[in-house]
Amino acid sequence: MVDTELIQEPEERQTFKEKLAEIFVYGKSMAPALGVLLVLLLLLFGVSTPNFLTYTNFKAIISNIPVIAIMSVGMTFVILVGGLDISVGSVLGITAVCVALFHHMQFPAWAVVLMCLGVGTFFGTFNGLIITKVGINPVITTLGTMALARGTASWFALDIESLKLGRIFDQKFLLIARRYFPQETQIIPITLIYVIVLYVVMSLVLKYTRYGRRVFAVGSNDYAARLAGIDTSRIKLSAYIMSGIMASLAGVILVAQLSLGRDDAGMGSELEVITAVVLGGVSLAGGKGNLLGVIISVIILGVIRNGMVHLQETIGISYYWREVVKGAILIIAISIDAARLMAIKRRQVVRQ
Amino acid sequence: MAKHDPQDTLSSKGEKRFRLSSNAILFIFLFLMVAAFAALSRDFYSIYNISTMLTNIAFSGIVAGTLTLVMIMGGLDISIGGNIALTSCLVAYLYNLENGPGVGLIIVIGLLLGAAIGSFNGFVITRLDLNPIITTLGTMAITRGMGYVLTKSRSILILEEVVGFIGRGSIAKIPFPIIMFALIFTSLTLIMTRSKFGRKIYCIGSNQEAAKLSGINIRKVKFVTYLISGIAASISGLILTGQTAVGMPQHATGSELDVITAVLLGGTSLAGGKGNILGTLAGVLILGVLYNGFTMIGFRYVHIRVFQGAILILVVALYEVREKKTY
Repeated sequence: MVDTELIQEPEERQTFKEKLAEIFVYGKSMAPALGVLLVLLLLLFGVSTPNFLTYTNFKAIISNIPVIAIMSVGMTFVILVGGLDISVGSVLGITAVCVALFHHMQFPAWAVVLMCLGVGTFFGTFNGLIITKVGINPVITTLGTMALARGTASWFALDIESLKLGRIFDQKFLLIARRYFPQETQIIPITLIYVIVLYVVMSLVLKYTRYGRRVFAVGSNDYAARLAGIDTSRIKLSAYIMSGIMASLAGVILVAQLSLGRDDAGMGSELEVITAVVLGGVSLAGGKGNLLGVIISVIILGVIRNGMVHLQETIGISYYWREVVKGAILIIAISIDAARLMAIKRRQVVRQ
Repeated sequence: MAKHDPQDTLSSKGEKRFRLSSNAILFIFLFLMVAAFAALSRDFYSIYNISTMLTNIAFSGIVAGTLTLVMIMGGLDISIGGNIALTSCLVAYLYNLENGPGVGLIIVIGLLLGAAIGSFNGFVITRLDLNPIITTLGTMAITRGMGYVLTKSRSILILEEVVGFIGRGSIAKIPFPIIMFALIFTSLTLIMTRSKFGRKIYCIGSNQEAAKLSGINIRKVKFVTYLISGIAASISGLILTGQTAVGMPQHATGSELDVITAVLLGGTSLAGGKGNILGTLAGVLILGVLYNGFTMIGFRYVHIRVFQGAILILVVALYEVREKKTY
């Protein structure tokens, strides 16, 4: 959909066209293009379905976003350093089971959360160490971890009697995702605040700290970064740990939202997270992208997911199309990424 | 994705010290495993079990064979599971249509579907120069999603003789899937060792730039390889439909993990340029024996799943270490 916008340009004046190209094609961030896409989608769903542009529905969309949004932060770090982590969905799954497990062991809520973040840290460190120290391809490593984590989760869920249902009753724990500001009118959910704080802090970290600049350096040119004295494997390790922690944080929030910790939680969510991050303009080649684009594309995916339910109600388009749409968006997103890279490269060649 | 280390592709033939080849090690390991399981479980070593096991292996083995080609070329195809599911859904759906096409035509359409998915992958990856992992991840979602759309998330029964024969029939007491499996592996071995096309695949995998400079039409070779992978997946889809007598979108969920594990176990590297069909055969057999044997001595599917993830990482790590020792 972004493509059609670019094709329509030649009718405009040259300078205007150049300005548009500057923003949409050569610009550092995908955010403007994604913003336009989001508005178009809102209009599309708003016009075609009656219940889409309502206050209740917006609350539904917002409550659905945090899980993917939080996981996407970790994935952004991993893709920025030039890696990939497809184990996030499974780490979320094992976190969900661990929440139920620790809950049944009568731990207090804060301890449950801490221990679950520990689970995520463990898997992240495991991934990171194998990728950096042993030197195995990140896709293979995280594919292995994916089976390992999901298998362990199902194992626990099958063999431990108390985990069969996975219900969580601890009110204190549930409030992690169910508190609102103000509590009575339920306007702003606390999960939204988590997301905003997380994205602001991480954006600042990426942009203004030495660590953030090292992440970009490692992703854009590993060898040069090493020559410049950066411990590249430590930066990579930290990115995978970040991804693990974020996946388990998302797991904790999902369990608190559903009050249900089952082993199939987050099945297939790695696809959505990778789509969000790549659509957000984080280049798969590493070293390029920012979190603003990522959060907009997370919202776009959330809007599409929600809008398709409304489409089914009004027009009768089967909700099962959502998987097809997800896959198509992923392929379109990487096509745009590739086209942008090519355009930028071509301009550099012309200038030289 | 991984920065390609040029040293990876050097041959280690100059080595004087005696070393067992990877394939020999794999087959010795397979033999030891079979012996161990036969000792542990009396049922393991029955003709019935071995024939069942081989039939089960055939379904994922066929795609493992063609995935070997893709991976030697430096690519990856994760869409095979989705492709298998969609083929089974489409075949069952067409069969249950009123005034639907005949069985022969249905099977041809099933194979054409696989060819279409394969050529879509090939086209997008070669023309737009996209990352194959992410592209086929997208195709996986699209194909499986189409399966859900087509069947409305239900299983469609298909009790039909010809399709049943593909999955369960046998010629001279040898199950048909095993015959298919043997035929496909023989022809893949011939392609990779005797044909120009096979040499081109190795060449592209070891050094794409050099392959391009030496006049190989990279796009064409890549396209054809993804096409073959797509067709093989639909053959597997037909076999699975015959075996289970249903077409459902949940078919072969997670089978990409099995298949990729088998190929990597066989010594093919994700960086490309290295690997052979015989190794993949060993990988497929080892995984099949492992699943069957562990089930026979009383482990459950989820337990084996955990082992499988661990094995994948362990095996690739071992290959990595072995590789480093060579230099």
